[in-house]
Amino acid sequence: MIQTITSFIGAAGFALVFNVRGKKLIWIGLGGALSWIVYKLGLELSGSPFAGLLVATIAVVAAGEILARRIRVPVIMLMVPMLIPLVPGGDLYYTMRYLIGDDNELFLESLRSLLMQAGAIAVGVIVATSVMTNFFAFYYERKRKLEQLHVHITMDT
Amino acid sequence: MNQTIQVNDMEQTKSNLLSAPDRVMACILDIGEVLLKGGAEIMRVEDTLGRLCRAYGFASSDVFTVTSCIILTARLPAGDVMTQTRRVPARGTDLDSVARANALSRRLCARPVPLEEMQAEIAALRQGRSYPTWLQLLTWGVVSAAFSLFFGGTAMDACAAFCSGLVLFCAMTLGSRLRINSILLSCLCSGLTALTVALLCAVGLGQHHDKIIIGNIMLLIPGMALTTSLRDVINGDTLSGMMGFFESIVKAMAVAIGPAVVLKLLGGF
Repeated sequence: MIQTITSFIGAAGFALVFNVRGKKLIWIGLGGALSWIVYKLGLELSGSPFAGLLVATIAVVAAGEILARRIRVPVIMLMVPMLIPLVPGGDLYYTMRYLIGDDNELFLESLRSLLMQAGAIAVGVIVATSVMTNFFAFYYERKRKLEQLHVHITMDT
Repeated sequence: MNQTIQVNDMEQTKSNLLSAPDRVMACILDIGEVLLKGGAEIMRVEDTLGRLCRAYGFASSDVFTVTSCIILTARLPAGDVMTQTRRVPARGTDLDSVARANALSRRLCARPVPLEEMQAEIAALRQGRSYPTWLQLLTWGVVSAAFSLFFGGTAMDACAAFCSGLVLFCAMTLGSRLRINSILLSCLCSGLTALTVALLCAVGLGQHHDKIIIGNIMLLIPGMALTTSLRDVINGDTLSGMMGFFESIVKAMAVAIGPAVVLKLLGGF
């Protein structure tokens, strides 16, 4: 619960650092909270952080792409701050600390975990972005065709 | 009859738009520069410039963009070909100016305005607007505190993270004023933060120095650059994507290594 609230604050705060303005901050905060909730659910259901992060990333990217087209702003503006709560900052820090601290076993373990988490986010971004882009291309194409059809019909009658 | 006049009018405006094609092109590149500087994807920059060229009456255009440079070649209706290059030295993150440049280009594509008006619009765009410094300072503190709670810190840790977040913001601002290389800067600043956190812990504010430091370095991790570079790779701009990807990995390592070294030197922890 506390993590959901802090991920809201974290995402919105990050958006402010990136110079995002106005009502979008609230949307981004909600997206950040969403990312954390989906991650927790995925982790609970599958038991693996990789799957959890993958699902959470896909959900956030999809939400960002849809919302960006709704309120007409660049996608990265929404997507990047929303993904921030998923960034494995903790593991990055511990990995470096074990590296400096000559603790090989713990270093390798946290490095593995770090790479896995970063990989999950990367795969999620890649998959979701390509799918959403294709989906919207298809969607707009169909909408355009339907509108043309509509024009023809109204012209006939 | 009326319609032909209108068409003539339109042709007239179109040729007026290209009265000084080199200046029009410079303006179009200005918009591209603002986009690239603000951290937009390569595809967005290329797409926007292509659309603007079409809207302003160039017969065809070829845009090539990498992380630090835009090359734009366009053919005039008469058949002349011209090229301009724009070097974009530093790529930062200013999503507001990306959004505004995007909105401006949509507006211009829908209704192209004459050169003078366009120049005025671009000057306004370049002016930029940013949050007041005190609010940015406060945000860095609040975000640090939020993430140290997020990673399992206590309320005291959050207070400590808030304070060291303020120190971090001051150090970053000062460092970028001094034009220190950005990778070195993040390393130094995160090291300084670790030092501050160690002091705060010694005073008694905050118990888990690792949770506090993680809250702080979240602000320095190049999440934006990483995500954008991934999008660049997907869009087929592999070159820029790899450049951004590598840069952000080096930066992430620099950010994490600063505090690790400081804590090691301070002994133990």
